[in-house]
Amino acid sequence: MREQHTKQGKLYLQRYWPLYAMMALPLAYFIVFKYLPMFGNVLAFRRYRPGMGPWGTEWVGLRYFQRFFQDPAFWSAFRNTLFLSLLNLVINFPIPIAFAILLNEVRNLHYKKLVQTVSYMPRFVSTVVVIAIISDLLSPSTGVLNHFFADLSGKDPVYYMNEPGYFRRIYVLLDTWQYTGWTAIIYLAAITAIPQELYEAATIDGAGHWQQIWYVTIPEILPTIMIMLIMNVGRLLSLGFEKVLLMYTPANSGVSDILDTLVYRTGLANQNYSYATAMGLFTGVIGIMLVASSNALSRKLTGDSIY
Amino acid sequence: MKTYKTRSTVAYYLFIDILMGIVLVMCLTPFLYIIATSLSSPEAIINGKVFIIPRGLNTQAYRQIFSYPNFFHAYGNTIFYTVFGTMIALCMTTLFAYPLSKTWLKGNKLVMKLVIFSMFFSGGLIPNYLLISSLHLTNTRWAILLPFCINQFNLILLINFFKSIPSDIEEAAIIDGLGYGGILLRIVLPLSGAGLATIALYTAVFFWNDWFNSLIYLKSTQFPVMLFLRNIVNGTTMLGGEGGSADKGALSLSIKSAVILVSTLPIIMIYPFVQRFFVKGVMVGSVKG
Repeated sequence: MREQHTKQGKLYLQRYWPLYAMMALPLAYFIVFKYLPMFGNVLAFRRYRPGMGPWGTEWVGLRYFQRFFQDPAFWSAFRNTLFLSLLNLVINFPIPIAFAILLNEVRNLHYKKLVQTVSYMPRFVSTVVVIAIISDLLSPSTGVLNHFFADLSGKDPVYYMNEPGYFRRIYVLLDTWQYTGWTAIIYLAAITAIPQELYEAATIDGAGHWQQIWYVTIPEILPTIMIMLIMNVGRLLSLGFEKVLLMYTPANSGVSDILDTLVYRTGLANQNYSYATAMGLFTGVIGIMLVASSNALSRKLTGDSIY
Repeated sequence: MKTYKTRSTVAYYLFIDILMGIVLVMCLTPFLYIIATSLSSPEAIINGKVFIIPRGLNTQAYRQIFSYPNFFHAYGNTIFYTVFGTMIALCMTTLFAYPLSKTWLKGNKLVMKLVIFSMFFSGGLIPNYLLISSLHLTNTRWAILLPFCINQFNLILLINFFKSIPSDIEEAAIIDGLGYGGILLRIVLPLSGAGLATIALYTAVFFWNDWFNSLIYLKSTQFPVMLFLRNIVNGTTMLGGEGGSADKGALSLSIKSAVILVSTLPIIMIYPFVQRFFVKGVMVGSVKG
């Protein structure tokens, strides 16, 4: 019996070894570059000493966790992360849906195509470029937009990129600009899949344009909307780190210091590796809990889930 | 099918068209502004006259950056990372995606689970950084090329693409005596242009636009153009040079715009050609994981 089994195994390998051989290198890559750092998180419980390897030297238990739990900078970053994320969600979740629905109503196909193509463009622009452009436009000395606002209000130019009061607004608006067109792709695809008969029936029933949107389009794409919403909730703790880092100034740090930037500064700028790893691990664990629970919720509500 | 009948219908479509026109303008204005400032005279910029139409047309900013060796160097670095990074990524992603598209293969499920788990939980910044430095990759170009060579979303996209290729084509090839390597090279890849183009675009955009990884892993001679630009923006690198000090700020502004334009144009020129592929790709990548 066993002999037959190994013989079968041999035959299996003889036949399919090329497939396993193809996998070998990428799998090794995954283990080294994705899973080793994952286990590297053990550093959160161990003390790091320079030159003694990435795993740390001695076990210190929850010392670093206790320390950041009492650190006001951590809780400030935690609040800032949640605040910015929620604001971003409330504003930038509905906009792409509205954009997709309205774009779909455009009757001239060339015009529709043009708007669609151009609306993707900002997504391909580097965050560095986005921040460079907005800093120029809002510059208190030469910024055209700044001068425009100053003329409008009759007040002196404001240094918007440095003012804590404007940080969140600018961040969210830049996200609107950069990702509306891109995110709309998914809703557009869902809208395209709606059977045309539904609209014909609605027209016969006397539904106007807005009523068709309200009673046909939106209910039909609701499952897509739900899935996207749940995915977004799962990603609440992961903001556009690079963008925040580029917008960060000492003056606006009270609102712009998020978890990722705090980890970056603590770890890489100040080389408190273990402490920063502990904060990163905590964020990561909350993140995966958010994903898992929103996914479970999605499965329960819509019968569809992301994994 | 539908016809313009009533006044309210006309108003409705006019409203939609105008709204979309506004979106169009909003998307394009920042680029027009960059083009305008890169071509304007320092005086016009200082006086806040330049918005989307160049004033005092001149090409001084472009002549400046093209005489600037550091800019060329950074641009060359970006091209290097983009070309080789994308090539490595395409090879590695294909090698992984093809066996993983065979759902019947023993071990497939386990490997897929490893892949998907790593999408939701990652090592985080510090463990990744320490890994790269303990592998002695810091200050080498491999620090950029290797760690990002397989993106899980791209991988799943390609797996789903391979799955959609009818299996009887492959079965026929096996009967004809072709091995799996041959099938991949001669049958599957030639049919996968759309999938490969999509992930090539995503990967190329990633490498082209990256600055953060270069900042933490590389030394300044290896910096790509986006990091070069970031250093201009935050004042680490000074530009402008000769001329009166009042001029200097404005000239550096148009130089900055010229750098932005020259470093953004290639990516913006390419994506419309790949658009029909990636629209499909986004669907696959973000709804079904």
